Amino acid sequence: MSRILIVDDSRTSRKILRSILEDAGHEVIGEAMDGQDGVNKFKELRPDLVTLDITMPVMDGLEALRCIREVDGGAKVIMVTAAGQQNKMIDAIKLGASEFVTKPFEPDEIIKMVNKLVKVVE
Amino acid sequence: MINQLFGNFLVKTGALTRDQLERAFETQKKVRVKLGLIAVTEKLMTLEQSEEVNKLQSVMDKRFGDIAVEKGYLTDDQVGRLLGLQGNQYLTFAQAVTDNGFMTLKEFENAFNEYQKALAFTATDMESLKSGDSDRIVPLFLPDDVEELQKEHILIAVRTLLRLIDSDAYIGRASWVSSINTKGVAFQCLVGDQNSDSKVALGFIGEDNALLSVADTFAKEEFEKVDLDSLDAVAEFINCINGMFATKVSSKTFLDMLPPIYREGSVTVTGGRMLKLPIYVDGNELQLLSTYDGMINI
Ligand SMILES: [Mg+2]
Repeated sequence: MSRILIVDDSRTSRKILRSILEDAGHEVIGEAMDGQDGVNKFKELRPDLVTLDITMPVMDGLEALRCIREVDGGAKVIMVTAAGQQNKMIDAIKLGASEFVTKPFEPDEIIKMVNKLVKVVE
Repeated sequence: MINQLFGNFLVKTGALTRDQLERAFETQKKVRVKLGLIAVTEKLMTLEQSEEVNKLQSVMDKRFGDIAVEKGYLTDDQVGRLLGLQGNQYLTFAQAVTDNGFMTLKEFENAFNEYQKALAFTATDMESLKSGDSDRIVPLFLPDDVEELQKEHILIAVRTLLRLIDSDAYIGRASWVSSINTKGVAFQCLVGDQNSDSKVALGFIGEDNALLSVADTFAKEEFEKVDLDSLDAVAEFINCINGMFATKVSSKTFLDMLPPIYREGSVTVTGGRMLKLPIYVDGNELQLLSTYDGMINI
């Protein structure tokens, strides 16, 4: 079980992700609606893992990833994106993203990924 | 889609009652067989392989046969043979209508000729319709002056809608518009990177129940009205369509996806030259808006 922060501007995506994670026994300790909100909640909650949407208003996922890694160089971050955004994925890898998931969400894929990363943390 | 298109024509011309059409659709469901199942019963694939392909299909914008060929489970020829065994939608619909005794095959075929006249379609167009393949049917309802890439974008949208929202959805004739007053809209623009000045956008407007069908099915929720929550679900559905489109064009150009935009209540949607395609979802009219070389604005 891990404590997870969901950062996504879409209420629908946050809700679907939350139910996938909770069904697998993880605890969603917070939700943020844009990158800036995400960075603030990361500092405040110190989650084991962050799911970070790339396409968001105010501050996008790449900028938020950079800020989060500045706060904690070992932060585990799963980037969430629609398909077809390879350039941004490459940027995210350079910035230290741990994994990627593409929308629409595939529950098995996400849980496998989360469990793998959590094991590294423990 | 041909069963819905032609079936509604039959009701409109009085050849079938609405009730008979619904019963024919029910019958048709029983004659329709999935390609995976045929592949397994024909012993060309194992059950495990078929399940694997089904699973891949749920995350990829590809057909069962395409994935099975890619994985090396089937050859193109075998897929062709299986599709033949499966029977196309026109034939299964014909069988359902005649099995129920609603029309004779002769009457059915005559009505199909009338349908061709009503739509002013060529014989080739009718073959495309009969194929039941949405990739061949949708272009028949688009204007001639649609760019190839825009057509591809719309095909992906319709295919994804048939797969994720309503497999019985069907379309009407598309038209060019520059501005629409409506209630509720969700859309997303994609822009090229520094190497290209591409701008495309895709959005949905329409009857409340049509927008709600999309939102409910995509988010697996029951929304009560077209508000910012249900439109957010529609916007995420658009985001998925656009992701598949961005993937398809990625060898030529990188498209950056901007955050989707959605508004509840009265709104004027403009887009220079927007293509508006009616799509009937659970019988309610949804309208797909598509621009190429320009953004959608509100
Ligand atoms: Mg987003």
